[in-house]
Amino acid sequence: MHEFNWGLLIVVYLFLGGLSAGLFFAAGLANYLEVDGQPAYPRVARMGALLAPWPVAIGSALLILDLGNWWRFYKLFVHFRWESPMSIGSYLLMLFTGIAFVYAFAWLPEDWRQRLFSKVPPTWKQVHRLNVDISAHRKLIAMVGFPFSIGVGIYTGVLLGAVSARPFWNTNLVAQMFLFSALSSGAAALLLAMVLDKREPIQTHETKFLITLDIVFIVLELFIILPYIIHGQLSVLAVKQALWLILGGPYTVVFWVFFLGLGLLVPLGIEVSELAPSLFKGKAFHGDRRLALVASSLVLLGGFLLRYIFVYAGQVSSFHRMGMLQ
Amino acid sequence: MGTIRMDRRLFLKAAGATAGVAATTQVACLSYFKKGRSAAAENREVPTTCELCPNKCSAIAVVEGGLVKKLNPNPENPKSRDMLCARGNAAIKQVYDPDRIKKPMIRMGARGEGKWKEVSWDEAFDFAAKKLAEVKDKYGPQASLWSSTEGFQEVFFKNLGLAFGSPNLVRHPTLCLASVNLAYSATFGTVPSFDLLNSKFVIMSGANRFESIITPDTMDLIGGVMERKAKLVYLDPRFTVTAAKADEWYPIKPGTDLAFILAMIHVIIQENRHSKDFVAAFTTGFDELAEHVKQYTPEWAEKETEIPAKDIIRIAREFADAAPRSLYYAGRRSSWYQNDFQMRRAQAILNAIIGNWDQVGGMVPNAKLPKGEFLFMPWDEPKAPRVDEIEKHFPLAAKGDGVYLKLRENVLSGKPYPIKAWMVYKQDPMNAMPDQAKTLKMIEGMDFIGVIDVQMSDMAWYADVVFPESAYLERTDPVEVMAGIWPAVVYRQQVVKPIHDTKPNLEIVQGLAKRLGLSDYFDYTIEQWVEAEFKELPIPMAMEHMKKHGVWAASGKPVYGKTLNPDFRFVTKTGKIELFSQRLQEAGYDPLPVYAAPVQPPGDRFRLILGRVGYFTHANQSNNVWLNEFMKENDLWINPKPAERLGIRNGALVEVASSVGKVKLKARVTEEIRPDCVFMLHGFGKKSKLQSLVYNVGASDAVILETAWDKVSGNAAFHETFVKVANA
Amino acid sequence: MAMKKKRYALVLDSRKCINCKACVVACKAENQVPVGNTRNWINEARQGEYPKLRIDFEPEQCHHCEHPSCARVCPTGATWMRKDGIVLVNYDDCIGCRYCMVACPYDARYFHEESGTVHKCTLCSHRVDKGDLPACVETCPSKVRVFGDLEDPTSRVHELLATRRYRVKEPQTGNGPQLYYLL
Repeated sequence: MHEFNWGLLIVVYLFLGGLSAGLFFAAGLANYLEVDGQPAYPRVARMGALLAPWPVAIGSALLILDLGNWWRFYKLFVHFRWESPMSIGSYLLMLFTGIAFVYAFAWLPEDWRQRLFSKVPPTWKQVHRLNVDISAHRKLIAMVGFPFSIGVGIYTGVLLGAVSARPFWNTNLVAQMFLFSALSSGAAALLLAMVLDKREPIQTHETKFLITLDIVFIVLELFIILPYIIHGQLSVLAVKQALWLILGGPYTVVFWVFFLGLGLLVPLGIEVSELAPSLFKGKAFHGDRRLALVASSLVLLGGFLLRYIFVYAGQVSSFHRMGMLQ
Repeated sequence: MGTIRMDRRLFLKAAGATAGVAATTQVACLSYFKKGRSAAAENREVPTTCELCPNKCSAIAVVEGGLVKKLNPNPENPKSRDMLCARGNAAIKQVYDPDRIKKPMIRMGARGEGKWKEVSWDEAFDFAAKKLAEVKDKYGPQASLWSSTEGFQEVFFKNLGLAFGSPNLVRHPTLCLASVNLAYSATFGTVPSFDLLNSKFVIMSGANRFESIITPDTMDLIGGVMERKAKLVYLDPRFTVTAAKADEWYPIKPGTDLAFILAMIHVIIQENRHSKDFVAAFTTGFDELAEHVKQYTPEWAEKETEIPAKDIIRIAREFADAAPRSLYYAGRRSSWYQNDFQMRRAQAILNAIIGNWDQVGGMVPNAKLPKGEFLFMPWDEPKAPRVDEIEKHFPLAAKGDGVYLKLRENVLSGKPYPIKAWMVYKQDPMNAMPDQAKTLKMIEGMDFIGVIDVQMSDMAWYADVVFPESAYLERTDPVEVMAGIWPAVVYRQQVVKPIHDTKPNLEIVQGLAKRLGLSDYFDYTIEQWVEAEFKELPIPMAMEHMKKHGVWAASGKPVYGKTLNPDFRFVTKTGKIELFSQRLQEAGYDPLPVYAAPVQPPGDRFRLILGRVGYFTHANQSNNVWLNEFMKENDLWINPKPAERLGIRNGALVEVASSVGKVKLKARVTEEIRPDCVFMLHGFGKKSKLQSLVYNVGASDAVILETAWDKVSGNAAFHETFVKVANA
Repeated sequence: MAMKKKRYALVLDSRKCINCKACVVACKAENQVPVGNTRNWINEARQGEYPKLRIDFEPEQCHHCEHPSCARVCPTGATWMRKDGIVLVNYDDCIGCRYCMVACPYDARYFHEESGTVHKCTLCSHRVDKGDLPACVETCPSKVRVFGDLEDPTSRVHELLATRRYRVKEPQTGNGPQLYYLL
């Protein structure tokens, strides 16, 4: 087996891209839901909006640096090839990142905005023209951004799923798997951010919102992973051989123990146990700070590992074995 | 003060204009430089002849920008046709090998220490000539040994030795094919070629033609077997690539090929399947042969060879019935066992009695082409007798080639007289000879060692002065005639100028000759030499043709049967093909091959057998980076059963020990070898640091091979060493 | 003047392949392939137990597929297929994202460190366009390889595919590889 063409940089980018998509989604959703005409989860909405653009921005930078000739990245935007998931994806990414930054700008507190623009030389009049309060358009921007965030969440999966040469990837479930993982990571990241940001006390109903969101996405993820494995085992030899990589092969432990166990089931268990009393027994929801910390970190770890496993195991899985006659 | 207002439109205009100017300037510059480069650069195609192995295939060198970029086959060569093997293609990396010797060098520290000083050619010549003169004064000119390997420019080196006054020229054949050549000469008076292109039934003992060396024979045989439905029977203790392609493979017990052949002759004669007419008209000694082989039954042979008797019988019948388009291939490197000469003799006899001589698909005597000779001043014949006492011990062996291993024995003993200077051309005795410890002792005893080579072989590493020869792509050489079924003439001309401070061998010889007072004997240029050679050759407008085509083939159709007339006299004592050889008898050898069972390795040991691969040429080319990629180190092949018994796992480091030395290398546990043998490749475990890819990588078989030789031809016997193998 | 459609392909008679590596070195020289990379290679299969044994060799390189997945996924269109079927990389447009490497069912491509672009067998298009054979085809001592235009009814490749049984590697991807292995 020759060395991996796509390595850690790609794994990190996929994770960060999905993370931003999830953050944006959670933030947008939090803003959309209203109680008495007011946003139901204002802190989530605000933190999500401000955090959303950064992971994907960093990830995109990593992606560009990973190229053979990084300065040629602009060529991605000089061509458009609708059959190439990477072509579509790069446009999606660019647009999404732009919208996410605009959305973050829409949530920028007035004083932060002024401080930002004070750094710009006064002679750059054109730039100062942008110093406007667009908070009124938040909902609109969020709505415009939703499809792009879903797009970014899905396309990272399509990128892999479209490769017919690699049986481990070539399933139509990969896109959904990555999407739900992204959305769940976003929710978990926000939970983590809220827990870590000790400036404000934890708003329990916001925590509950995020935990609920996370549970929903994790369960959806499990609904995808289970058929992926079961149906895969009932499929043709090539798929079975590919699945062996996580069913006895080199990625078995990291898949079952670290990804599925620690990354999905443990946080699911924690979150359900937190939510269950209020859901079934009508008790008030009480979010434990430390449990939230643990659960959200594990979800993020899981999100990263999912991409790690897929990118690496996928490259190992091949119909073709170099040097071997078949 | 007012600020300069940057009007947007103006800005864009200015930016656009600047960009436009910048772009056009850049494009203009690029095209200018590109044009300038290609005009000044040298782009040409030059036909030449490859030197990476002795096959003399034609190649067309493509030069771009003054560098050799590619070697393409030259379809005009009737032997190599439109093929160039891995080595031929990789010759480029011989020229641009960073490890090449770039300037003459004189040793500073001890021999083999690796301390070298780059010197001018004058200094190198002066030094060498002084040392040679000293030896001449003190011990006589015969105290110098001149060893060389076949090459277009070898003649100059040999002439220098002779002009110097030494009879001690020794060449590679007694480390290689002396036994097969002598055996066929003793039988037919000449060594024929094998018409594999048209053969229908081929038997090969070893001669791993599909793997050990890629030659026109390879092409003919693969075509024969795969397209023309020829049958190939292959005997080898290893399952080689040839075994994989053969119709039948027998893992013959090593050293028993003679039994197999004698049994075949037995069957053929007993069943009257030989060609009676041919035998009657062209051979002598058939009755003696028939009587002699009565004892060699297939059942007996089965016990010796471990090949089933019924198969021996069947093969003998099929072989004889396919005649005259059947042949027992002679092989090339025949330095195997101490009975090798007699085994090849038996082969020749077998080939003879089925009457495939000078027939399509059989053995064909080589057609030659007359080559002119440059007439130079002749020197006096050396007065002293040869130090290897070849007339006494190997009266039938080719004198000009010497007997290498006997020579070494005598040099080491100092008798009949001492050898104190050793000049080497295009050879690596450190790896070519078995028992490297003895070679090192031989080196120790020399007052002077000078080596002429393209790369820093192990021998060069132990020399006193190294003269870097230009690579073949950097020189023009004498013309060579390829005798054979389709004779051809090949030419080697300079493709690029030497990229380092190297010289062609002739100029090195001339440099030495000048200081030795022998200039008169080498007072010519390579161009004059080549001109003279062309004079006799039947090539119209020879020089022009050769410069343009690189090769000239005699008439397209091969000629068969010229010798098959009753007036033809074979170059033997009786004038006939000698099945029974009086000459051998008179010299005190068996006139008909007599079989003696080879000694077997004791229970806990293995016989070490050798072989080659087509991307290395014996001990060199393993440092060629493009070829080294295919095999970065050698390993020891061992069958899984003994490996298990010894607890040896695949890839583990093992120690291989013989009575003369031990080496360490990785084990390759494989089904593809007999359980009683182990195998390793040549060309690794180098001591020369300037063979950086193989310096200290793997192991050198020369260290553990024991000295043995065939007593008739003096050919080295490399498969007679028994080794102990254990985890290191 | 209408150019007749061409479809270049390689027909391989692996039985003749003796693993001599001439094709690998010829390609290396012809296309300046860096040490450590290769555009073509020989697959091996060894089976059996002493003394019943078998070895098979089979050359392989980019299959110049009819529906190349590499071209499909390339985001800039740097990888493209010529009208005559040869799949090439336009190095100026290649950004080195290596998606094509990942998408190739045969792992036929390598990353060219020096230029930061992805390289592979080009069927020596520069030679073919001059009327010569690809370097690997020309140099082969056992004449394993036959190169030609499948659309030309007089070509040897056309004849071989019409009269001999053959297989392609990994047809299930739907790529339509154009390296035909005679059985």
